[in-house]
Amino acid sequence: MAGLMSLDTRRCNYFFLYDGSKVRGEGDPTREGICYFYPEETPLDKQDLLCGQLAGVARCVSELSSSPVRTLKLRRCKFAVRMMADFFWALGCSMDVPTVSVCELLDHLIDLFCFYNGSVRQSYQLNSKESLAAQWAQYLSHMQSGPSELCYIFRCLRTIDSTNVDPLLLLKAALILQACQRCPLVLVGCILFRGRVVSTQMSPQLTMKVMVHESEIYTKTQKSNEASTSSSLGGAVSSTAVFLTTSELQYLQSAPVNKDLGSQSTPHKDDPPKKTRLSRTLSDTPSTESETSCPASLQPPQKLRFSPHVSESDDSLFSPASSQSADSPNPSPQPLRRLLSNGRNSNQTEEEVHEEESYRAGFQNKEDEDRQMDSQGDGSVFEETPCVNGGAGDGDAARGTAFDYRGADSGNEHSRDDRKAAGDSGVCCRKAKGHRAGTRHPPPLTFDSLEESPLIPMTLYMHRVNGLVLALLVEPRLTSDSASMEEVYHSSLASLNGLEAHLRAAPPGAPGASGQYVFAHYDSIQSTLKTNVSGRSGGATDHPFVRATSLLHSHFCDTETLQEAIIRNVSAAMYGTRSVAQETYFQQQGSLSRNWGIPSQQDSAFSLPSKARHRLLKHGVNLL
Amino acid sequence: MKCLLIASESAEILFHWTDPEYQRNIQERYGTAQEEGEELPAFEDVLSTLFAPIIISSSTMEDSYTSFTTDDNHIYVLHQFDECLYIAVNGDGEEKEDDLRRKMHVMKKMVEVMFGMVTLSGNLLRKELRPQDTEQRTRLWKYLQGLIETYSHLRDNDQSFLVEAVERLIHPTLCEQCIEFLERRLVQQLNSSVERAGEEVLHAFILVHTKLLAFYSSRNASILTPSDLLAIIIMAQNLYPSNVDLDDPSPEEVESTSGSGPESFYTPEPSPSSRDSSSSAEQPARGGTPMFEFVDPDIQMAEDSLHTLEVGPPDPSTPRRIFLEVSHKDGLYPMMPHSMYCLPLWPGITLVMLTKIPTSAVAVSVYKYLEDFDKLEKHLREGPGSSAAARSPPNMHDVRSKMDKFIKALGPSELQFAQLQSVWTEFKKRAFARGKSGFTRDLIPWCKKMKTQLCGIYRHCFLSDLADVPQRLSLSLQERAQAMVQEKLIDWKDFLLVKSKRNITMVSYLEDFPGLIHFICVDRSGGQMIAPSLSITEHTTSELGKGPVAHYIKNKVWGLVRTTRHCLQKGYSTVTLRDGDFYFCYFLWFENETGYRLDSVDIPVLADDSPPIGMLAYDYYKRLLRYYSKKHKGETVKCYELLTVHLGVIPTEIILQHCRQLATKLWEPSRNPLL
Repeated sequence: MAGLMSLDTRRCNYFFLYDGSKVRGEGDPTREGICYFYPEETPLDKQDLLCGQLAGVARCVSELSSSPVRTLKLRRCKFAVRMMADFFWALGCSMDVPTVSVCELLDHLIDLFCFYNGSVRQSYQLNSKESLAAQWAQYLSHMQSGPSELCYIFRCLRTIDSTNVDPLLLLKAALILQACQRCPLVLVGCILFRGRVVSTQMSPQLTMKVMVHESEIYTKTQKSNEASTSSSLGGAVSSTAVFLTTSELQYLQSAPVNKDLGSQSTPHKDDPPKKTRLSRTLSDTPSTESETSCPASLQPPQKLRFSPHVSESDDSLFSPASSQSADSPNPSPQPLRRLLSNGRNSNQTEEEVHEEESYRAGFQNKEDEDRQMDSQGDGSVFEETPCVNGGAGDGDAARGTAFDYRGADSGNEHSRDDRKAAGDSGVCCRKAKGHRAGTRHPPPLTFDSLEESPLIPMTLYMHRVNGLVLALLVEPRLTSDSASMEEVYHSSLASLNGLEAHLRAAPPGAPGASGQYVFAHYDSIQSTLKTNVSGRSGGATDHPFVRATSLLHSHFCDTETLQEAIIRNVSAAMYGTRSVAQETYFQQQGSLSRNWGIPSQQDSAFSLPSKARHRLLKHGVNLL
Repeated sequence: MKCLLIASESAEILFHWTDPEYQRNIQERYGTAQEEGEELPAFEDVLSTLFAPIIISSSTMEDSYTSFTTDDNHIYVLHQFDECLYIAVNGDGEEKEDDLRRKMHVMKKMVEVMFGMVTLSGNLLRKELRPQDTEQRTRLWKYLQGLIETYSHLRDNDQSFLVEAVERLIHPTLCEQCIEFLERRLVQQLNSSVERAGEEVLHAFILVHTKLLAFYSSRNASILTPSDLLAIIIMAQNLYPSNVDLDDPSPEEVESTSGSGPESFYTPEPSPSSRDSSSSAEQPARGGTPMFEFVDPDIQMAEDSLHTLEVGPPDPSTPRRIFLEVSHKDGLYPMMPHSMYCLPLWPGITLVMLTKIPTSAVAVSVYKYLEDFDKLEKHLREGPGSSAAARSPPNMHDVRSKMDKFIKALGPSELQFAQLQSVWTEFKKRAFARGKSGFTRDLIPWCKKMKTQLCGIYRHCFLSDLADVPQRLSLSLQERAQAMVQEKLIDWKDFLLVKSKRNITMVSYLEDFPGLIHFICVDRSGGQMIAPSLSITEHTTSELGKGPVAHYIKNKVWGLVRTTRHCLQKGYSTVTLRDGDFYFCYFLWFENETGYRLDSVDIPVLADDSPPIGMLAYDYYKRLLRYYSKKHKGETVKCYELLTVHLGVIPTEIILQHCRQLATKLWEPSRNPLL
């Protein structure tokens, strides 16, 4: 992976995190504020210059327009920028990468960090710059390790090539995941094989986050000693603390409805991460941060043993006491529920029914809310609806707006998030009993969009069988609950071994037959990419394709009504088409007719749409 | 929420233009930082304070900023032109990054047309753009602000400014008659008159709104480039705005923020005879929009009264000095001084004459010397064998003797000349020192000084007000010219005004091209375009009708042009798009003179911050043609563009067939477009 990475440094030129609060006075040196700078070998003077100037100028521009800077372009490098409280992130990529993609990459990086470390501010208070620098470096290298340059344009999940795998194996994987969910402490899971997704119940975004850890362990060969609660179950099982955003948690908790759909093809689209970032449901007040966002490495495992109480205190940190007493006459419904769901209570079944109901109620509310949002032209929340209904493939009109978020008028975002936050809390009030996360109320008047969104600690459980990994998001209590742990472990062990053996035996996917054409097919709902573009170093022949894809992708993002495009120069013609959920790019190799330039029916460029339709069928891409 | 400003590296505001909304926004922003009771400083100082960190940071970075965007879609675009930093801002979503970049380049072009080679010296340009005298500054800035607003209005509403090519009125017989009239009667008579004070009419043309009715260039004139012609049309429109716009102010224009209604600000168009073209700072408000409505009416009045106190009434016949590109036998000379006479015939119809001024030979010399010193400087800095310019240093002994003669001819009477002479003497002392060659790096500052002095001479000769007075067509001569053309066109006047709004219409194409909604065809070698009219106003309707559909299609066309330019910038010269219910095509191709299609080459891929593709501010197509011609030596290469909008339900084969037919029909060898 490292070898591949070095090839790519020219695409991602810079990444840094700058903490403005460290540089307040006149005399404070700029480098005090530099939390992390990539490439790390950059001379300090240059780091100072870039961080100081970019952060300074971005603040000035933000103040002038009363809105945080999002992108910043230099003549030879474009930066996506994120400003949050005193933190300033910038990711600089080469000019070929579409601006919208650079912004997504940066958001993804920050989300990754928060997923594994919790609040950024907190992490930097508790850890040394150096240890966190290693984290950033790891996420960056993971981000750059995609199979082709196209991964800079599309954020995509790497999945196993399902054409080479017996469909029964996929079914088996899905069943394993469902079996795990019999333990109520298990929220969702996914199964990965050699760094590729076999089956997942999580949203693509969440799956991507989980995969970072997996691939790290995979490459480090169990070297890591962080946060592992290796138990009697052997070294194959590890767990690490992770942090979910409130909206992510909400999706997970509405999972029972979706359980029967949990297979490779049904990950539902989460809220785009950048939405949740702006969510103002909670502010990180110092007192709450100190406990909730404790990074993995510092969280003493013993603490988890008292999980019901710890969780309760976690909750109370997030939810103002007043709301709890107001919404729930029962003074302690939550610990009760948790005890029940642990399966230790004689009233279990009854309570579970109750719980199911409340889930359903919560979901109903959610749907109502979605519908309401729909009517207000919001494109961010209701994307889940089609998936829930099992209509993952059809062209639901509502999902058309799923594309919008990239190029969406972010001016609306604030109000949208306000609305969403308000809606969430409304729903939460009604389903307070069933949903821990639901009870989190926005404290009044935290309208600073630059605040970090609240993060809820969870645990990532991993069970490795050679190249196969079962990754589960579980309630933190699971790790201390040895009985449940055993149950989860043993229920899946045999099936995992079997699955691993079969997958190992499956022939490696034949490298995309590079020949007469290149194509890329991106599914934005599932975040998957099909392509026959061979590796990133493919160079000369593939590069024009990547460039053209980048150009058309930008236009598709800019113009929501644009459905099809053909662009043509002397040597190549590219056809691009998109539907609500997919973007497809097709380029014919080899010489085109000489009838170029002047309008002409003989120009073979115009036959591309039918050729694409025809050729891509055998790749399982249906453009009809 | 729009703003454009020019700043020096020390964050001094050399020019600014803001719309009222942005001005208010800035003042509020500053006001909050201001202690109570304190008076707001001058607006330009507020701007300077607020933008200073950006400007200073920009000069600190080695790889300079080109743009910023914020979460709520404010866009800032920056570009450094020599020593001036241009910043354009949009906060209302009406302009994209490329629009702002284009606007800055157009601004730069207008500054060049107005100040010529003075723009080559940062120091002099600074003084020129920001005169010490406040009143003079206000006047100049108002004029430039008017130009920006005129340009923005044209870009948003006029297809010829959308694609940056000149649109001719399609009426071959009348057109021919007028050209003949201009040649045989007007220009001949003017150039043989004794009242022309040494000036010589080189170009004369008649504009109907923004469209060209007839254009005549005298035999010894060089070609007027499309870029210059478009710039002149903006200036003429700025002087005499088309009353098309006055007819129907758009809703937002009616909505006056000052509360006093647009009428109170409406300045009736002054009668032509009382109009001073050279110091015409007070532009008639476009479309009834108060251009400076942020100014308190009282202040406005005070300013107006100041104008009346000016020394001597401005002479209405004073031409405007403009600087245009001239191609001589021995090369291309940019920014050569001309005088522009803009004579209104009727509202909407204007006669424009460009004259060569008697002293223009000085400009040629100055330009040659500037080039020599520039080459020498490069040579000294980079050493031999680096760039092409540095490799062949000018023959300095040759330059020396010529320069001596030049200075002698100028005569030492003026201070400016004396300064040049003393710097030159000093230069010679260092360069041609006895015994050893003085051509070392030490000479570089002296090269710079010489260049500044030469620009100073140029400024003195062509920009100082005094220089104008004795040389110009006499008032009576101008009046006679005006009367002659009026007489010629009196019967056509109304026809022309209508024709200019419906030059060609889609109706004539519907039968042959069912499903075709709109097209634009551009001849890039000649800088001309044809398109069915698409003017959407209350009173005039195109075939598209008025209302939302017409506006929608208009916006789509504007968007299409933006998209295709973007593709062209990335090297793609054929583009088709299926967008909603429409199908768009764009083609760029090359032909030789006989209409035979030429083989193609790959079009260069440009950087994102490269000058905008067009012909007004920066002639992309001229460069493209030059690039192409290198591969097709010995042939005259023509470059054409075609954009079409079809209904999406039409099969692609039919659409392509239409495009093919349009392409061949529109530019038949006769050059008489289909009608």
